[in-house]
Amino acid sequence: MAAGGSRSFSFKVVLLGEGCVGKTSLVLRYCENKFNDKHITTLQASFLTKKLNITGKRVNLAIWDTAGQERFHALGPIYYRDSNGAVLVYDVTDEDSFLKVKNWVKELRKMLGNDICLCIVGNKIDLDKDRHVAVDEAERYAESVGARHYHTSAKLNKGIEELFLDLCKRMMETAQADERLKGGGAGQSVASRRGVQIVDDEPQAAAAGGCCSSG
Amino acid sequence: MSQRTERRGIHVDQSELLCKKGCGYYGNAAWQGLCSKCWREEYQRARQKQIQEDWALAEKLQREEEVAYASSQGPQSQSQSQSQSQPQPLAQSTPPHGHASLAPFSKFEEKKTNEKMRKVTTVKKFFSPSTRMAPKKESQEGKTPSPSISRQTSMETDRVSKDFLEFLKNLQRPGREIHKQCRAFIESMANKKDLGADELSECVQDFYQNLSDRLMSHFKGSSESVERVMDQVEKYIMTRLYKSVFCPETTDDEKKDLATQHRIRALHWVTIEMLCVSMDEEIPEVSDNVVKAITDVIEMDSKRVPRDKLACITQCSKHIFTAIKITKNEPASADDFLPALIYIVLKANPPRLQSNIQYITRFCNPSRLMTGEDGYYFTNLCCAVAFIEKLDGQSLNLSTEEFERYMSGQASPRRPTDDGSWPLEVDGSASSSTTTAAVNPVLAQLHHNLELLSSLNIRQDRLAEAAQGLQAELASWEEGVQREVQDILERYPLEIRPPPESAIDTENAESDRLPPPLTPQVFAG
Repeated sequence: MAAGGSRSFSFKVVLLGEGCVGKTSLVLRYCENKFNDKHITTLQASFLTKKLNITGKRVNLAIWDTAGQERFHALGPIYYRDSNGAVLVYDVTDEDSFLKVKNWVKELRKMLGNDICLCIVGNKIDLDKDRHVAVDEAERYAESVGARHYHTSAKLNKGIEELFLDLCKRMMETAQADERLKGGGAGQSVASRRGVQIVDDEPQAAAAGGCCSSG
Repeated sequence: MSQRTERRGIHVDQSELLCKKGCGYYGNAAWQGLCSKCWREEYQRARQKQIQEDWALAEKLQREEEVAYASSQGPQSQSQSQSQSQPQPLAQSTPPHGHASLAPFSKFEEKKTNEKMRKVTTVKKFFSPSTRMAPKKESQEGKTPSPSISRQTSMETDRVSKDFLEFLKNLQRPGREIHKQCRAFIESMANKKDLGADELSECVQDFYQNLSDRLMSHFKGSSESVERVMDQVEKYIMTRLYKSVFCPETTDDEKKDLATQHRIRALHWVTIEMLCVSMDEEIPEVSDNVVKAITDVIEMDSKRVPRDKLACITQCSKHIFTAIKITKNEPASADDFLPALIYIVLKANPPRLQSNIQYITRFCNPSRLMTGEDGYYFTNLCCAVAFIEKLDGQSLNLSTEEFERYMSGQASPRRPTDDGSWPLEVDGSASSSTTTAAVNPVLAQLHHNLELLSSLNIRQDRLAEAAQGLQAELASWEEGVQREVQDILERYPLEIRPPPESAIDTENAESDRLPPPLTPQVFAG
């Protein structure tokens, strides 16, 4: 579901990764700022929302956790359909989990193309002494597939805020570029049954870079 | 002659064969002793009466709706709403309402005199009043032949439309516009019954989109108010269209429903352990929530509005989360939730599951389905169904042979318990002693309960013993106390000394201090 009007955005972000890499801890740390806490009030950590305000624009973030077990892998497309962003989490001490991330990236790029913003996240950097995934290898890989790479620790609350903020900014850029493309495309080509979206002129929209000319 | 009648064994008086009405024709038992002509008249009359009642009711509700609407919008809007329904061919001859309810009856009285005419006019009557009085209902429930069913549903739709009008009242001018649009849309949908499900979905989604775009510009981008209105619009429209668009004949939804149902039934042997669900059903609170979740997911089928169906799924999910939280004492992640939901779906085997999912996908407001919390749970339900359809041995950590055996019903997995003495027929293999350690969950529960009962029994015995001991102790204590008291009494016997006599005549120590008694003096005289 792309962004709503020009004033506020709502994004769907899907959380992918093998079980036990700390997806849940990551998102709980981000939305509740708690880690392995007995006082966590939320009933569940599989669907969480966060409201942000980025450069004066309201952003509603809906974070969808997915079941990471191997036997549910085939259900992925049902989850990531229509999502604006994907956070692919691996455990820096577990090389297998990094391979899983590579699989996910391949699948997502194949199914959704470049519409989706990808974040590759190496979690558990507090266990750096047991690291099994080399930093530069991971970063090089991320760059090669057009994704950003982050290092986080849900335990120490490191890098998580930055990760989601960065992701939101990128999703906003994509959404704005998308809207301008639709606006410039003379309407007919995009006059899908959802109708034409009316977009106010955005003075700072130019930040996304000259994709207008393609319309 | 008389012999022949006897042989036949039938002798009926002529009069018994005749029509009970006395019209001279023969009657028939199947027509309650009436001749065909009189029976038809009787039947028509009863039928007519029933129809009259239904019409009167329908009309009353219709009038109420219009009055409610008119009162909210003023007189000029009523004329609008009427003129708006005019273009529809069926609604053209709307007479004043009071008339309409009388018309068919008076006509009927008339027709009774003319037999030939009657047939024709009854047929006419069957169509004309219903089209005249309730074009909307006709269009929506044209398929339902039974008046009682249509009455029941129309009651619900009327309640919903009343609520809808109530709601629109608060919106004043735009409310009128919305009402007009919705009615026009429902009428236009009536002409599209033959379209496929996808086209129908397209129509409804287009309508949602156009309306919400307009509302968006009206409310100046306040998406909350738009959403509120759209929720009501969805409720109103879908309640009315439900019959014709839920599980339509043009799709194979029904076939899929049956397939899913069979599939789930065939998987009855799947246990909570195979799915690695982190819910401990032995905790009473957990099993309570499991039952509630199952009820919710089954209840989904009874709702008409897509949003209400979604609400059932959400409710079900919440109960699952509660159950997981009680078991694990931490918030449930998707890793826990999805297997649990699969388990619930397997246990519930919800009716018309595929139809419901399709219906929600086709006719729910898309903004709700894509990003909201309800949408997340709905997606998980879709995943659960997809998983169940594709499920194989590997996904349950079973070998293919085992899976096949369970599916064919040759064997069934049992839950391992230490004292399980339930004999298992493992193809007559000798290793039964090792496999008997497994027991069907129900039996395990039974065993567990029996154990509990026997331990309770033992404890009760112990309690009784202790109580007896206490009683004995009490008795002996009482005795002891008595004995002690006796001892003390014996040791210190109570001597009751007679109190000192204090009679004046007695001699006492002080008596000598008394002056001598007076002696009488004799006066010699």
